[in-house]
Amino acid sequence: MDFQRSDAIVTLQSSTGQLASSKDEAVTVESRLDWWSIAALAPAITILLGFLLLFFYGVFQSLTDLKFGRPQVHFIGLDNYAALIKTGDFWNSVRATLVYAGSAVLAQAVFGLVLAKLFATEVILARVMRPVILLPLVLPPMSVALMWTTMMDPQNGIMNYLLSLAGIGRFAWISDPNTAMFSLVVIDVWTYTPFFALITFAGLQGINEEVREAARVNGAKAWATFWHIELPLIAPYILIAAVFRLIESLNQFDIIFGTTQGGPGNSTSVLSVRAYITAFQNLAFGRGAALMVVNWMIVLIGTVAMVKLWRFVRQRVS
Amino acid sequence: MRIKRTTSTNLILNLFVGICALILVFPLAWIVIMSLKQQAEVMTWPPTVLFVPTLENFRVLFDVAQAGATSYGTIKVDFLTPIANSVVIALGSVIISLLFGVPAGYVLARRDIPLKEDIAFFILGFRFAPVLLVVIPLFSIFQAIGLYDTYVGMIWVYQVVTLPMIVWLSRSYIEDIPKDIEEAAAMDGAKPVRVVLHIVLPLLKPGLIGASLLIFLLAWHNFALGLILSSTKAPVTVALLKLLNPGVQFYPVMAAGLVVTMIIPVILIVIGQRHLERGLTFGAVK
Repeated sequence: MDFQRSDAIVTLQSSTGQLASSKDEAVTVESRLDWWSIAALAPAITILLGFLLLFFYGVFQSLTDLKFGRPQVHFIGLDNYAALIKTGDFWNSVRATLVYAGSAVLAQAVFGLVLAKLFATEVILARVMRPVILLPLVLPPMSVALMWTTMMDPQNGIMNYLLSLAGIGRFAWISDPNTAMFSLVVIDVWTYTPFFALITFAGLQGINEEVREAARVNGAKAWATFWHIELPLIAPYILIAAVFRLIESLNQFDIIFGTTQGGPGNSTSVLSVRAYITAFQNLAFGRGAALMVVNWMIVLIGTVAMVKLWRFVRQRVS
Repeated sequence: MRIKRTTSTNLILNLFVGICALILVFPLAWIVIMSLKQQAEVMTWPPTVLFVPTLENFRVLFDVAQAGATSYGTIKVDFLTPIANSVVIALGSVIISLLFGVPAGYVLARRDIPLKEDIAFFILGFRFAPVLLVVIPLFSIFQAIGLYDTYVGMIWVYQVVTLPMIVWLSRSYIEDIPKDIEEAAAMDGAKPVRVVLHIVLPLLKPGLIGASLLIFLLAWHNFALGLILSSTKAPVTVALLKLLNPGVQFYPVMAAGLVVTMIIPVILIVIGQRHLERGLTFGAVK
């Protein structure tokens, strides 16, 4: 929720303003307590404000022609952006970012719901296997990426062997431009479906048992109970999970860098990976920063839209 | 959800759960198997299931004296240093985050300060910071002030990941402690600092341990910061990527490396499943 940052500066300023003015307004608040609070908050906020400054410095760099090792740096306004939007590669990256995040989050929401419903049945195996849901989430994303690279090897990977058992011929996975994006989405879905499952599961457990009972007494079929009663009630949970996941998958770097590094060709060259290559391999820091600013703006728009949707759904439910 | 099910539905549900669990576990199991194979066995088609397990791949990773010499060619690996780096950086990040984050979490949970919610959200917002945009300017700055490739610099920059989490989590754990206990102690004349040290902190201990496990994990996961801001102090995730030499695919050695990076997280699940669930879902699961 990066959009909070710009607000938050205003917030901090106005909060110090309020603290200052409270001195004049007699003793409504115990000022001694506030000094303790400020002392406790200050270190954490100072560190984070440091990062905020760096963030703004990064935005500033995107308006310069900074290259690593170049002594003279010029302010060039929006030239980096103007140059970017003229290239097909840039739009390809925007498309790749949106396709990756959009399809991954959508698939995770669906599979997460299925997984949550299955584990909520509390059959014996569901109770025993509960900790397994956490497994993909605790592994380093880089390890996950390399694990799947190994398994998706087109020559001797286990995935192709399993497919061949089902009578399906060799699949190129991440080594072919046509299937690379699909393969990455598979990896992302395997890794983060449990995140949706855990949150959806929490939503399911929050539903009052009497509500279900009432539906059942009124003769509702299991499917109808789910569709008309459970799903609307857990929709806010699914959406909040989607907000979190959307932000992170629009920013996803590790999994893509660990598997394809944007290739083959530039079929999986999402904005973050392109920004890294532009900044740290071509050493065009200004241009790289511009790519990240675009990525950040996409995250911002996506998040605001999702939060709006979440508020709307939550209002309808309550 | 205590519905009476017929035995057959029960069986089918168990079957489906089993399939899901298998999908989640299988890749890891396969990697463990692969790490115990020899290069030639990995390259065969169809994949072998029966083989004589070998610890050769782990020896290649850790045997400093004969580093690089394998029965199937030479690869230069130094895996011990990156692991040490990751442990130092992750532990350092946890300690710094606890020192700075828990007091902030306490204030946000207990004190009526103006715009409390806004500050809390500002802090959590960093969990979703566009890390690369912060790191691009930081690269030049670190080189200029000599923090590039140092533990201090790495631990500081890791705070962008760990500090917001610890503030958020400690706040949520403190809110779980009934406020009455503190108020009662304050009535008896205990000073606020004593209340926090002798009453809140002991009650908070399990939660803090859980939160520490989680942020250790987040620090252990990190890749991009180490890739860009370090070379000799690079964490294990960066070293892992280097095991995958283009052209020469020493998959079993890489599988051994993967097993090493995955062992710690799996152990952490066993220790603190509930806490990890709560942390990973931002408090949705309590």
